[in-house]
Amino acid sequence: MQTNPLFERTVSALLAGEIICEYSHDELYNYLLTQPVQQKVSDFLQQMNRTLRQTSSHDAWLCSYQDLSRPDAKDAVRQQFREVANHLEALVQFLRLVMMVEAAQRPIPAGEHLREGKLLERISTAPSLEAKLRSLCEKDLFRTKRSDSAGQLRVVLENLTKAGYLKPIGTSGSVFLATAKWSWLYDVMTFIQTHEGIREDSAEDDPQLRIV
Amino acid sequence: MARTHDAQSTLRALATYGDVILEAHLNRGNRIALNDDNVGVLETLEHHRLVWRLGDTEDLQLKNVLVRLLDHITESERRRFASAQVDRLWSDLNRLFVDYREAKKRAAFTDKSRIESEIKECLSEIIEDIRNATDTFSSYISSGFSYITDMDLRIRKNHEVIERAGQLNSLFESFNTQDLADQAGNDPFLKRLLLKYLPAALEQGQKNLSYALNQLRLTLVRLREDQRLSKLVGGFESYFANNRGYIPFIDDLDLGHCPAPLNNVVPFAIVARGDIYDPADDADLITLAQTARTLGTDQQGTEPAAALQTVEFDVAGASHPEEEDPVDELIEQLVQFVVDGDIGDGEIDALEALSGSGLALDAATWLSTLEAQIDSLAPNDQSQITVEYKSQLDPLYKDNLYITGMTLRRSNESRI
Repeated sequence: MQTNPLFERTVSALLAGEIICEYSHDELYNYLLTQPVQQKVSDFLQQMNRTLRQTSSHDAWLCSYQDLSRPDAKDAVRQQFREVANHLEALVQFLRLVMMVEAAQRPIPAGEHLREGKLLERISTAPSLEAKLRSLCEKDLFRTKRSDSAGQLRVVLENLTKAGYLKPIGTSGSVFLATAKWSWLYDVMTFIQTHEGIREDSAEDDPQLRIV
Repeated sequence: MARTHDAQSTLRALATYGDVILEAHLNRGNRIALNDDNVGVLETLEHHRLVWRLGDTEDLQLKNVLVRLLDHITESERRRFASAQVDRLWSDLNRLFVDYREAKKRAAFTDKSRIESEIKECLSEIIEDIRNATDTFSSYISSGFSYITDMDLRIRKNHEVIERAGQLNSLFESFNTQDLADQAGNDPFLKRLLLKYLPAALEQGQKNLSYALNQLRLTLVRLREDQRLSKLVGGFESYFANNRGYIPFIDDLDLGHCPAPLNNVVPFAIVARGDIYDPADDADLITLAQTARTLGTDQQGTEPAAALQTVEFDVAGASHPEEEDPVDELIEQLVQFVVDGDIGDGEIDALEALSGSGLALDAATWLSTLEAQIDSLAPNDQSQITVEYKSQLDPLYKDNLYITGMTLRRSNESRI
């Protein structure tokens, strides 16, 4: 039987827990665009108690359990959730920092370009933003002993790249593309918000964002 | 005279910076960005009191007097309220139809001819307004209302434009084909205008408008989602700030009906090995083996050794003699001498033996190697050798001894 490298790579990435979007795995994402391919991949995954699923914004594919009645699957879900929950504060702080730096009205969308130079330029001219970056680097996800903003920002961007939230583009290594893993994170956050009863922020509560 | 001069200077400034001013009016919400490219225009417009701002770091805004002029010359106002404009023109046209029929009935050919040209003019204005009205929405779509920075105001503006497009759409729908046909009757002049030119313009207008409406609705959905996510992140930030060390948990959930966002799999590693039992894979595996051998060398940035470029398989039964270590060899000889008693009074000084051997080895390494080798001898052999250490006490730490030499001697029991 003839092998299909794209199928193999797609299934391997999904089983490895990666999130496939047009920014992180453009080839695999394009491969998954057609319904017959989706069905083929899904059929394969179902034999391993897994299935193919999309984020709510329909911009990324990921793998989830087909049958959660098995205790090992439930434990796995809890374990995966703990990994996100432990780093959630750091991720939220990063999103907020970028919103303030870019004076953006929304958190990072998939496909957005982040330029290290531009971020650093704005952070280093505002002590409040520098303080936020310092605070960010005290969190486990971005922990570093570097005391300069450039070094701290580099660690943050590198760790987000390792975690699959960013992908470096170009040859300079200082321009990053946001992947659709952010969309997945927003889905998880939306669930937590409902589950834990976290109140939405109102724009009036945030004069700092307006000033920046 | 001075006043005239100032006014002329202002008009010249408007002409000079016409492009920037029009761009600000049509696409940037009457705002001129504060950047290096716009320094000249901003200074000039400030000098002529045509822009204003509250803070030094804010973008400059065109003054209302200038905005009104721009509205007039770009027909923005007219287009903005196109539905009302078209409605008014249509009422005028209906009056002209009545006059036209009356003139025709009375055979007043001069009046009929005059009214015909008025009808043509009025209808061309309607068609022009229909085209302009739909074109104006494309500028909203392309800007995405990005010139409005506040999310709530942006959503409100989007709503407002959708409402305006809706009104225009209702007006277009009010032009019923049957009504137009009734209005035209059997008159060839009216038939040409009402059943040919007007329906074509209406059809094109409706097509553009429905596209614009669809895009505006999509923009609205996106803006609302942006607003939701912004509030979501803001809410979490506040919550983390007010609840130090908070970490969400789901241990209380049964997960019988697992919410989709939580259903994430643990990584499932797919590991495969080369099939060494299938001869068909031999060639590929040999190439892989070569790469594996040279990988370490490559990582250090040195050239791979020539011998590693190829893999040589051993011929069955072939053997490669292993080279002897000269230190081991010397120690073996020493031990043999001591045990056999082939030496003077049966004792050897280890350092003398080293200097006599010609080996380039430091004393400490030699002595420790010798001691280790003697320790590793079989108990019977070991019992035949007595080792005497020459030592010095450490001047500071009296428990420590520095070994400065060793004498190997055949033990007395073995001599007997």
